[in-house]
Amino acid sequence: MSSPVASTVGAEGRRERWIAIGYLLPALIVFGLFIFWPLVKSILLSVQGTDILGNPSGFVGAVNYTRLFSDPDFLQVLWVTFAFTVLTVIPSIAIALLIALLLQGRIRGVRFFRTAFALPFAFSVATASVIFGVLFNPASGVLNGILSHLGIDKVQWLTNPDLALWSVSGATVWMQIGYNLLVLSAGLGALPEDILEAARLDGASGLRLQRSIVMPLLTPQLFFLVVVGTIHSLQSFGQIKILTVGGPEDRTTTLVYSIYEQAFANNNSNYGYASAQAMVLLVIVLIITALQFGVLERKVFYR
Amino acid sequence: MKSRRFANLGSYLILGVLFLVVLFPVYYGLVGSLMGERDTNSFPPALWPKNGIHPENYSKALDIIPLGNQYLTSVLQTLGITLGQMVTSALAAYAFVFLNLRWRAFWFGVFLSTMMIPFESIIIPNYLLISQWGLKDTIAGLTLPFLATGFGTFLLRQSFLSFPMELRDAARVDGAGHFRFLFSILLPLSRPSLAALGIWSALSAWNMYFWPLLATEDPKHQTIQIGISQLQSSDSDSPGMVLAGVMLALFPTLLLVIFGQRFIVRGLTAGAVK
Amino acid sequence: MISTTSSPSRGSRLRYAVPAVALSASLVLAACGGGSGSDGDSDGGGTGAPAADVLDKASGVTTVAFWHAMDGTNAEALDKLVAEFNAANTGKIEVKSTYAGKYDDAITKYKAAIQSKSTPDVIQIYDIGTRFMIDAKQTIPMQAFIDRDKLDVSDLQPNITGYYSIDDKLNSMPFNTSMPVLYFNKTLFKKAGLDPENPPQDLAGIRAAAEKLSKKGGGPADYGFGAAIYGWLLEQFIATDGKEYCDQGNGRDGKATKVLFDSPESVEVVKWWQTMVKDGLAANTGRDTKAAQAAFKSGQLAITLESTGQLGGFSKAAKEGGWELGAANYPHIKAGTEGGPIIGGASLWINGANHEDVQKEAAWRFVKFLADKKSQAQWHTGTGYFPISKGALNEPEDVAYRQANPLFDVAVKQLEGTKLSKATQGCLLGVMPQARKASEDGLESALNGTDAQQAMTKAAESLSGQISQYNSSVQ
Repeated sequence: MSSPVASTVGAEGRRERWIAIGYLLPALIVFGLFIFWPLVKSILLSVQGTDILGNPSGFVGAVNYTRLFSDPDFLQVLWVTFAFTVLTVIPSIAIALLIALLLQGRIRGVRFFRTAFALPFAFSVATASVIFGVLFNPASGVLNGILSHLGIDKVQWLTNPDLALWSVSGATVWMQIGYNLLVLSAGLGALPEDILEAARLDGASGLRLQRSIVMPLLTPQLFFLVVVGTIHSLQSFGQIKILTVGGPEDRTTTLVYSIYEQAFANNNSNYGYASAQAMVLLVIVLIITALQFGVLERKVFYR
Repeated sequence: MKSRRFANLGSYLILGVLFLVVLFPVYYGLVGSLMGERDTNSFPPALWPKNGIHPENYSKALDIIPLGNQYLTSVLQTLGITLGQMVTSALAAYAFVFLNLRWRAFWFGVFLSTMMIPFESIIIPNYLLISQWGLKDTIAGLTLPFLATGFGTFLLRQSFLSFPMELRDAARVDGAGHFRFLFSILLPLSRPSLAALGIWSALSAWNMYFWPLLATEDPKHQTIQIGISQLQSSDSDSPGMVLAGVMLALFPTLLLVIFGQRFIVRGLTAGAVK
Repeated sequence: MISTTSSPSRGSRLRYAVPAVALSASLVLAACGGGSGSDGDSDGGGTGAPAADVLDKASGVTTVAFWHAMDGTNAEALDKLVAEFNAANTGKIEVKSTYAGKYDDAITKYKAAIQSKSTPDVIQIYDIGTRFMIDAKQTIPMQAFIDRDKLDVSDLQPNITGYYSIDDKLNSMPFNTSMPVLYFNKTLFKKAGLDPENPPQDLAGIRAAAEKLSKKGGGPADYGFGAAIYGWLLEQFIATDGKEYCDQGNGRDGKATKVLFDSPESVEVVKWWQTMVKDGLAANTGRDTKAAQAAFKSGQLAITLESTGQLGGFSKAAKEGGWELGAANYPHIKAGTEGGPIIGGASLWINGANHEDVQKEAAWRFVKFLADKKSQAQWHTGTGYFPISKGALNEPEDVAYRQANPLFDVAVKQLEGTKLSKATQGCLLGVMPQARKASEDGLESALNGTDAQQAMTKAAESLSGQISQYNSSVQ
């Protein structure tokens, strides 16, 4: 951890040490108040009961945790979270990759397409979810309207328990495409031109050949997107709140949505139980992040 | 060359299909926001305005929720978070790069660890804290938890590291203190990174959903993201009006993405840290 | 409400550190002071009525903070009433009303206010929060004021006050009140060859009508029947059958220890509904009440179950769509059983703990004003909610309103014809919001194919932990 600071000695040096802390202080105060203290508090809440006003009602040990893992509903929550992650991360990367590779070819209007395809990135989770809510509407939604032209009956996109998670995932994939495309296009743009040119001259204009040459070079970006996308999916909340409120039959209740439900919905204030779930989320994200740093560490930070 | 042209045709075909699918929600959001109930509530619904253009959807949306107030709240929240993050990140990054910081590795670890903790896992204590301080429904409550960012600090640190030492020493010799050096020399020269951080912070602040949902109750103090999701659950059944609200909320970020893509990409790739 | 200490856009770099430090100091204070748990009402007189003349002795203007959960046109009608009250009490009482968010948000906000000892003087809380409000021990029962003033309350509809009473003691003042009714599309009835003046009265009747109404049986509607997966509707079926929803006399003889929506009667409803969906006679539009409403408004459904609150919207849709709307009593499981629907809506609570006597008295006068027949007539005609005052129905504006909306009398007759019992008072349960959601889980899962008994039993059992946790935490 070298730093380009000339080592200073004596009173001057001591003074600068204090100055340095002073420069860190604003950020440290924010972190302390809104990240580290809440983290401690979360852990404390998770080992306490909760009274009807939401006050901690005394130490209960691991009760909240044992309740979690003996509760079949929570096992379903974990399964839904996992399924949602898989259903969003992989397709959103695959589609973005397909678009990025196609745009890499000699296509007219590349700039137009690039901007157009990046547009979903401008949508917040709320704006995108509200639009998809309108599209999915079973009675008068456009999706069912289009299907009816093909002679297909109305589909209950968000209320059919076997379909709802797919629909919410589909909307989420859409929200992710713009971001993934930007990252992959940037990665492709940074590749040496002669490699791409060689690929083209060899007649490797088809997707298949381009893939065999270009894709391995994109491995860092793809790995990055898998990690970021997974963490992002684990944190997803807005689309579930807006589109399905966790239903039908809790089949779209992910971990974060379950935390919200236990803590804030239906006049619940089960902060203890919800905090235990929050700690599960934290551990999962920590594991994935550790994985990421294990691979990327040297590359990104320590030079 | 025949096979090549054929392949190209195939590319266009796939691209065209993807274009239609990906852009359809954008199209319908925009066009639907101008359609009346006769178009949107019949089955099958119209795909373009068959019964006239209805710009009054926008004024109807403004009637149902206080979008004006909400817009202002969103702007203030975004400005607060963006400027706050830029300042705290610049100060901290400066200390990491240019100052004789003790326990540098420790502090580095502290900043790094903030990036590994998902906010959702600590959102309950944050909510309790903000309510206890009476900051619900205030800009303070909306912004305070996000005034510092490990990601921004590392982004600026990367940029500062490439600053020529000679220039810095020359400035010090000229009598520029740390503060002046940072704000009048270093930051202006780091504009691209600062812009990347700014756009990145602004986008995430503007688009925030979970926290504003908890930190506000009064529609007048809610952000526009919450506002439009309430439009959807309002009693009116006019999809056009709901979509009009969406378009209003979308407008700033749409401009950012169309015209600021260069900086976004920079933030993204530097964001390889996140 | 923009706090100046935290508007970074204006501060200089240096000012940044200052609020942050101040905040960290206040955090320490908060941490020291906040942990004492729920604030017991130690001053003794906190939940009793003050002396009647306390306000007359006081000088200056007494402010009453009022939190409500009304938005849109309802909020406008409420604001008008508040303004009238303030005008009549100028120089003495001023009510400041604040929208506290929808019902769920308002109660959440109230919980936070209890902890920071900053509850409003009057708060509007939904029906299913009643048990919680009693257990939170913050409020003065209305009965204390009524007894003190020896007030004649015979004008209040007993079937409405019944919900908010335990042992004939009124806890809170009912305010906005609605009831469930059966709505049907008379035009579709005629097309299907059914008598529009003879709407179905029970499950079998709905099924028989739906067989003629549904597309499946060659009828004019997509589906004969359809209603939202809304726990409230199931509660109503149980009540019209004269049965209780939770034990301990619907939570009125003691704290309820379990819910009974897995009873044979309840399961019969669920099974009936499930079969209707399976046979293509009923639509499953999910939990979103708006979806079922929209389907009924557009003529895709011929019969639906909804609250009186929808009368206005349905009438408007009928007029625009060129069809005739009908309304009838909420169906029974089997016609002829003794029982009736439970009222829904919200009531007003006066907070005692940590409030001055003058405020309590001023709050009581405000609540009395809102319950008055004149206010109630205005409220009823402005919002479509059911008036809690019998006399309101005879006010000229109310008579005119009901002439213009004759279907409303269906609800009036239904309410007057209901015999008050523990079943029709409704269940008081601390975790009633969760119970309602659990019953929806069960119903939804049954409609999607799970065995009805199994689904409802599982849903009922899922609540046992929450109920015992609640009961043990309020002892």
